[in-house]
Amino acid sequence: MTPYRFVPHTADIAVELVAPDEAGLRAAGIDALRELLVGSSAVRAQQERPIESRGKDAGERLVRFLAGALYLYDAERFVPARAGPAGVLGEQFDPTRHTAAREVKAVTHHDATVQRDDQGGGLRATLVFDV
Amino acid sequence: MSGAGAIPRVERADRYRWRVPRQGGMRTEGLIFADEGLMRDLEGDQAVRQVANVAHLPGIVGPAIAMPDIHWGYGFPIGGVAAFDEDEGVVSPGGVGYDINCGVRLLATSLGIGDVRPRLKELVDALYATIPSGVGASRSDLRLQRRELNQVLREGARWAVAQGYGREADLDAIEANGTLPGADPECVSERAKERGKDQLGTVGSGNHFVEVGYVAERFDEPAAERLGLDAGIVTVLIHSGSRGLGYQVCDDYLDTMLAAADTYGIALPDPQLCCAPIGSPEGRRYWGAMNAAANYAFANRQIMAHYARRALVRVFGEAGDRTHLVYDVCHNIAKHETHEVGGEARRLCVHRKGATRAFPPGHPELAPRFRDLGQPVLIPGDMGRYSYVLLGTEGAFRETFGSSCHGAGRRLSRHKAKQLARQRNVPKELEAQGILVRAATRATVDEEIPEAYKDVARVVDVVHAAGIGRKVAQIKPVGVIKG
Repeated sequence: MTPYRFVPHTADIAVELVAPDEAGLRAAGIDALRELLVGSSAVRAQQERPIESRGKDAGERLVRFLAGALYLYDAERFVPARAGPAGVLGEQFDPTRHTAAREVKAVTHHDATVQRDDQGGGLRATLVFDV
Repeated sequence: MSGAGAIPRVERADRYRWRVPRQGGMRTEGLIFADEGLMRDLEGDQAVRQVANVAHLPGIVGPAIAMPDIHWGYGFPIGGVAAFDEDEGVVSPGGVGYDINCGVRLLATSLGIGDVRPRLKELVDALYATIPSGVGASRSDLRLQRRELNQVLREGARWAVAQGYGREADLDAIEANGTLPGADPECVSERAKERGKDQLGTVGSGNHFVEVGYVAERFDEPAAERLGLDAGIVTVLIHSGSRGLGYQVCDDYLDTMLAAADTYGIALPDPQLCCAPIGSPEGRRYWGAMNAAANYAFANRQIMAHYARRALVRVFGEAGDRTHLVYDVCHNIAKHETHEVGGEARRLCVHRKGATRAFPPGHPELAPRFRDLGQPVLIPGDMGRYSYVLLGTEGAFRETFGSSCHGAGRRLSRHKAKQLARQRNVPKELEAQGILVRAATRATVDEEIPEAYKDVARVVDVVHAAGIGRKVAQIKPVGVIKG
């Protein structure tokens, strides 16, 4: 099963993530965010930048983790390649190799709950990105 | 959507009003302004549920309101208005949105459309070159030291005018004169300041734009004259907000408010509605930061207008220098205001998320030049059709806490819009209609195709017919800069 898929939303962009555990949701979320930010541009996992993953439940932790990666992109042009054990791996934006596909304002908390996936036995979350 | 829940029951109240009766944990009812067609557009999405969700919040006064451009947002619907009692109510960053003081500014020139048509390409290219747009746009000629950024956050458009970006007279034509009181730069995080430090004077991406248009129709000639909207004159419409700084302020305070909602025992139907009592330390800090970000947005539009004027002068010489600011309005903001409720004057905190303040003639908060007219309300449409100028009314003041709509409202998702545009050359199609488009990427243009939006004329007609705004003029686009 694809770990993420974009689902219909009128004004913004919603993505559904499916993974065996919270680490998998973070990985799928970073993949979705990377696609939104730089499309299909190849991104090298050259450095790891720490992101604190905190929150009272899995939904809050996921939103904050992705919001941290978005901040690194927007403020420091650090493009996410993939989720790492303590943060995100990626590299500096290089206009010769990366396409700035869209502006993502935020990862919202709207309906950001993580639920048990009845079919696959793992976890499922839906997130809305404000664009 | 996960956790979406059932769509609440809706009852028709009259031709333009729909009630969402109290059900479940709602503390008040919902009130949606729409005609039958606009209501049909909401089928299958979560916008009505979002109206009902807002009605759950403590201290809400009057109904949770939605304008005819209502569409599915996050937390509050886009097009939402909610007023809260200052003592018992809450302030919610999700009720303002990420793009704090996203708003619209309209400049009128003294050039007729006949003067501009032959040199339209030069003008659109000059605007595109002088106002950075698109993802990560920044200005190399405006790098602010932290001390200067703090001044921007305190003073807004007034700071920009003092630096030579525009004219003193502009300030009279900006909601709140371009400076919201209560701004506290100390309440804005370093991350927010870092995110917004190089973005002042840039339009951004998504649905933000700079648009050249002309006054195509006047519905109220005396009012249009008073606003300087002569028939056929060329205008520049700017839609943008507080850029990364505002997004980060909202993000930071959502974290704060999630914890605060627990602290104060506020039950939330959606975490994006997290909030704190208005007078609490969390509420007061958000207030300081939100107003600071709003001032950044006022300065941002002031600087873009300055560069738009420069582009006009570059192309048309002295004739391009005769411009005036018609008005500048916020449509994502919360404000402390006095409203009559049940025959009593009450101080309320009015949240408008995708809704425009539309105060009536005679309101003391209006600048003297608008006091007998009412507050100008600027309603952008899509890039292929038209935009509108309205005025605030007594009806809006009575029924919607002095609020009106803010735009057309999306009807298609970005994905559907791109699918529709895939086999087409949208800029060519628009050019055939006399509209030149410049954009950083094809994707932006495709996602923003006119069909992606409701017809703003329908939205504005409902507003006018329901008495919560009054039509003054229609503006048609001829050149569009998209991010």
